[in-house]
Amino acid sequence: MKIKPLGDSALLVSFGEVIDDEVNVRVHAIARAIEESNFEWLVETVPAYSSLLVIYDPLKVSHSEVEVSIGPLLNAEGRAFEGRLIEIPVVYGSSYGPDIEFVANYNGLSVDDVIEIHSKPVYRVYFLGFLPGFAYLGGMDERIATPRLGKPRLKVPAGSVGIAGKQTGIYPLESPGGWRLIGRTPLRLFSPAKEPPTLLQPGDRVKFVPIEESEFREIYLEEWGEGVD
Amino acid sequence: MKALIELLRVPSLLTIQDAGRKGYRKLGVPVSGYMDDYSARIANYLVGNPGNTPLLEFLIAGPSVRFNASAVFAVVGDVEVRLNGVPIEPWTSHWAKRGDILEVGTLKSGLYGYIAFAGGIKCERLLESCSTYPRANLGRPLRTGDRLSLGHALLTGREGRYLPPELRPDYSGNKREIRVVLGPNLEHFTEKGIETFLSETYTVTPESDRMGYRLEGPAIEHSKAGADIVTEPLLPGAVQVPANGKPIVMMRDAQTTGGYAKIATVVSADLHLLAQSRPGMKVRFRAVGVEEAQEILGRLEKRMEAIRAFLEGKMRAYKVKVGGKEFTAFAGKVK
Repeated sequence: MKIKPLGDSALLVSFGEVIDDEVNVRVHAIARAIEESNFEWLVETVPAYSSLLVIYDPLKVSHSEVEVSIGPLLNAEGRAFEGRLIEIPVVYGSSYGPDIEFVANYNGLSVDDVIEIHSKPVYRVYFLGFLPGFAYLGGMDERIATPRLGKPRLKVPAGSVGIAGKQTGIYPLESPGGWRLIGRTPLRLFSPAKEPPTLLQPGDRVKFVPIEESEFREIYLEEWGEGVD
Repeated sequence: MKALIELLRVPSLLTIQDAGRKGYRKLGVPVSGYMDDYSARIANYLVGNPGNTPLLEFLIAGPSVRFNASAVFAVVGDVEVRLNGVPIEPWTSHWAKRGDILEVGTLKSGLYGYIAFAGGIKCERLLESCSTYPRANLGRPLRTGDRLSLGHALLTGREGRYLPPELRPDYSGNKREIRVVLGPNLEHFTEKGIETFLSETYTVTPESDRMGYRLEGPAIEHSKAGADIVTEPLLPGAVQVPANGKPIVMMRDAQTTGGYAKIATVVSADLHLLAQSRPGMKVRFRAVGVEEAQEILGRLEKRMEAIRAFLEGKMRAYKVKVGGKEFTAFAGKVK
C-alpha cells in the first residue's frame, strides 16, 4: 500500500495497479471507515479499482495530519462490504444492441450464447466514474470479450449495454461512445432530482435479466415518463 | 416585485456557476463550478454576497442583459462595460433600475469573466449546487431570451464598491509559471520525461474547455510502465499524459476518474491562472512540495479575506513603495 499526494488537497491511497475483487472490497471498507469518522476536514472520498482518493480541505488540515489521521483506518480489513443486488432488465440484440452479432461472430458463438454468457454472472460495481452513474463492472466472462469500435459512435442512447475488451458497462446518459452495444436497459441510471441520484452505488452487485421488447417499452414509460424514441 | 433579468444577447458560452458540486464524485459526478474561483469570489464580494453564490460565467464575449427591477451588479474581467450605452467600470458594483440595459464587451485578457448580482441568481439546485454541467443535464448553457430570477437582497449599501486595479488578478501577457506538486504516477515516467515536463515550455491549445486544457510541446517520455494506468480517481488540476506525451490538465468539468498516468497536479492557488490562459499562452511548470503548496494557498486565502474586508469597508488598502516596487498593504482588522 502506498499513500501519495494528489496535489495539495487530496491523498491517494493505492494498493498497486490491480483489478481484483478482494482489493476492491478493501478499498470500499476503508472509504466507509474514513467517511464514518466524520473528520471535519473531509470533503469526500472517491474509490476506484484498487485506489482511494481522500479529498480534504487544505485550509483546515495539512497533508501530513491527514495521513496520520487515516493511518489506523487503512487496516479496515474484514469489514467486507456486501452491496445490494440490483437486477437490470435488458433487451438484447436488434436495434437495442446493434453489435451483438459482431460480438457473437468475433468469439465464434451464437447470439443466444452471448446473451446467456452475459446475463449469467453476478457482476460487482467496482466503482463509478467516466460519466455520472457509469459503473465499472467486474466479472465479465472473457469468452465474450470484444475490442472497441474503431470509430466511436457520436450518439449512444442512455441505457445501452456494451462491451469494451474484457469490460461490460451501461451508458447512463446519451453520449458518444466506442463500446460494442449488445442491448439496452429501460432503467434510468442517473436521475439528478433523486437522492441518491444513481441507480448503482459502489460495491453493489448487478445481475442482467433478459426481457422482451414489450416489457422494455412498459418499464421505459414508467421510468422516464415518456415513450422510447 | 420579483427581480428578473432577461438575456438580450448571448454571444458565447454563458453558464450559471457556484463553488461546485461536492459529495457526488464517488457517483461519477464532476465537481464543476466557476473556472476562476478567485475572480468569481471577488465578483460576489463586490455585491455583498457570500463567495459561493451562483453567478454568471461567460467565455471571452459577455452578454447583454435587461433588468426589469432594481438590482445591484458587478462585472469582473478585463472588459468594457456599458449601462444604457454609457461606459462604466468593471470590478465595481453598480445600481441598475428597471429597464436598464447592461452590455458586457469582449475580454481583453483572460478567458472567463463573471457577472454577479446582489442576492445571487435563483436557480434549481441539482445535487446541492447550481453549477452547470450540461453533459449530465445538470443545467444547460444560457440562451438569448432566457429570463433569470434574482434572489432577494437588501440593495442599499451594496453599490459603489470598487476594487482598484493593483488588487485585481492580472491575466494579461503571453507566458506563465504554474506551480505543481509532482506525482502520483511518477513510476510511469522516465527521469528524462520528468525533466522535460519541468524545463520545457508548453502552449495551451484551442482543444481546451471546461473539462481539460490540452497542451502542446515536447513529448514527455514514459517509462516501461507506459502511459496507461489501471483507472484511478483524479481531480481538477491533475496533469494526465497519454501515450503521445502531450500533457492534459484536467479542469472543473473533468471526469472523476482517469486511465492515463498523472505526472503532477497544479497547486490549488494557481489553477485559476491556468484556467484564464488562452490558447497560445506559454506555460512553464515548477515543482513545489505539498507543504509549500498549502502555504501558498493559505496566503492567497488571507489575501482574499483582506480583499473582502476592504470591499466591505472594514479595512483600508495603501500603496507602499519598497525598493522601487509597488505593493498594496491592508490596515485594519479582518472581522
